[in-house]
Amino acid sequence: MKRAMWILWPSFLVGGMAEGIFFSMLDPSDLNLFGQPLELSRNAIYTIGFFLFWALGALSSALTCWLQQGANTAGAADG
Amino acid sequence: MDCRVKAGSAAARARKPAGTAVDAGGETETSLYEVRQKIYPRAVHGWFARWRLVLVLATQLIFYGLPWLTWNARPAVLFDLAARKFYIFGLVLWPQDFIFLTGLLVISALSLFLFTAVAGRLFCGYACPQTVYTEIFMWIEHKVEGDRLQRMRLDRGPAGAAWFGRKTLKHGLWIAIALWTGFTFVGYFTPIRVLASEVAAWSLGPWETFWILFYSFATYGNAGWMREQVCKYMCPYARFQSAMFDRDTLTITYDAQRGEPRGARSRSADRARLGVGDCVDCGICVQVCPTGIDIRKGLQYECIGCAACIDGCNQVMDKMGYGRGLIRYSTQNAVAAKQDARYMWRRVLRLRTLIYGALLLGIVAALLGALYLRTPLKVDVIRDRAALARETRDGMIENVYRLQIMNTSEHARRLTIGASGAPGLQVIAAQPVAVAGATTRMVTVTVRANPADVKRGSYDIRFHVADLDDAGLRVDEKSRFFMR
Ligand code: SF4
Ligand code: SF4
Repeated sequence: MKRAMWILWPSFLVGGMAEGIFFSMLDPSDLNLFGQPLELSRNAIYTIGFFLFWALGALSSALTCWLQQGANTAGAADG
Repeated sequence: MDCRVKAGSAAARARKPAGTAVDAGGETETSLYEVRQKIYPRAVHGWFARWRLVLVLATQLIFYGLPWLTWNARPAVLFDLAARKFYIFGLVLWPQDFIFLTGLLVISALSLFLFTAVAGRLFCGYACPQTVYTEIFMWIEHKVEGDRLQRMRLDRGPAGAAWFGRKTLKHGLWIAIALWTGFTFVGYFTPIRVLASEVAAWSLGPWETFWILFYSFATYGNAGWMREQVCKYMCPYARFQSAMFDRDTLTITYDAQRGEPRGARSRSADRARLGVGDCVDCGICVQVCPTGIDIRKGLQYECIGCAACIDGCNQVMDKMGYGRGLIRYSTQNAVAAKQDARYMWRRVLRLRTLIYGALLLGIVAALLGALYLRTPLKVDVIRDRAALARETRDGMIENVYRLQIMNTSEHARRLTIGASGAPGLQVIAAQPVAVAGATTRMVTVTVRANPADVKRGSYDIRFHVADLDDAGLRVDEKSRFFMR
């Protein structure tokens, strides 16, 4: 389960950073989705945005873990 | 390091049952996160423990208290994300002031570097929320379940009514604190009094409810369950701190030259004759350690510098009638050279700390300067591109602009708008323009020129927005004026 920590935690930090940078430059009420303005409150968009960033980060961390694991079992020779 | 959980990894070697017969027994707890030896830190009293308590109280007083303070009839500190404005006492920050927040982050980071280079993980041991909440939660645990031995017995014994009662009480208290923490956290983003009345009326919005619960859950999980694992496996600072350490950094150090060879002996025994050092191998330093390491093995990255082992060992030294400080704050150089504190303090000023210090001072000064010089008024000129110029019935040429005026201070302003850049420009707008504190107002402005005075072509003009009541405040903003 340490792996879960390794995947969820760094992505949480990165998600927080991405959220901060993204929304300090962009006003969520200016965002459009498929040409339609988002019919959500700013707080709703902040929250959804944060979890989106987090999920993306987690996906990346999970892939890294997965690739590394494969590399270690497959290529013991090249250490 | 790869992502697999290996036996014999840091986790597995983290905890060995501490020496004496009564204490022999580390409980293996199959937790959600990993198989780890549950750590039962022993409570400790002493100088550093007292300081830790003071800091826990101080940081929590600030954290829980700040959202309740008011300033100009609004919360003193409020990160109003919904309105995209941050209030910090007399200061109102807008998205345009992003640079100040960045500056603040850089300052925090540099301070952390400086502190780390000088005094190691002071932040971890005394101020990090993870440590502070763990401290609070452990205090509750201690009060409810008793001291270290009682806790171990309780966990090993049958899950009877007493067990159930104590566990329920402990978790109830933990959850209560966690909820209060979550509530306070959200209180930094929504005025806390409004939030409180919403909670009382059971009418919290979905997002606020969600974030309160989310933060509470994180607090409860991190301080109640994860504890030292957060520092060991999750904290990036714990990993890169070694880059900021050098041989003159203050760390928790066991004086091996003095302590070894360790061994049990009676109080009255003659150390010289027995050929033993000062360490009586009582294992207290290991028992009190919240991360469950043995500091006598040297500095390890798990050590959060909480100094609990110093307090613990000093008690033992007092009992034995030996000098204190077998474990103490010291630097690698000082211990190696058998030097005292004076030597250490002289080495505090060295190239690394001077550079960190100079950078820090420079950035703080620049930021304060910029804050001081920041004009409390911002103007954006937006012009209608489609309609360049139009002619009025009496033959004058008009251009229409929209001025977005932002009053970033907290009091209302009365403003006048003027224009220059071509002969005889007239500004037609309802003047003076009133802009309430910390608001933005869009004003439509018509600028008019007489073709008799101004030739065809386009002109660079400037709008002058000035405060009627404050002669020193004037903002100029460029635009273009077209004579057909
Ligand atoms: S507390 Fe002090 S005397 Fe006891 S084992 Fe640790 S270093 Fe030795
Ligand atoms: S070794 Fe000492 S200072 Fe380090 S974490 Fe353990 S008790 Fe705290």
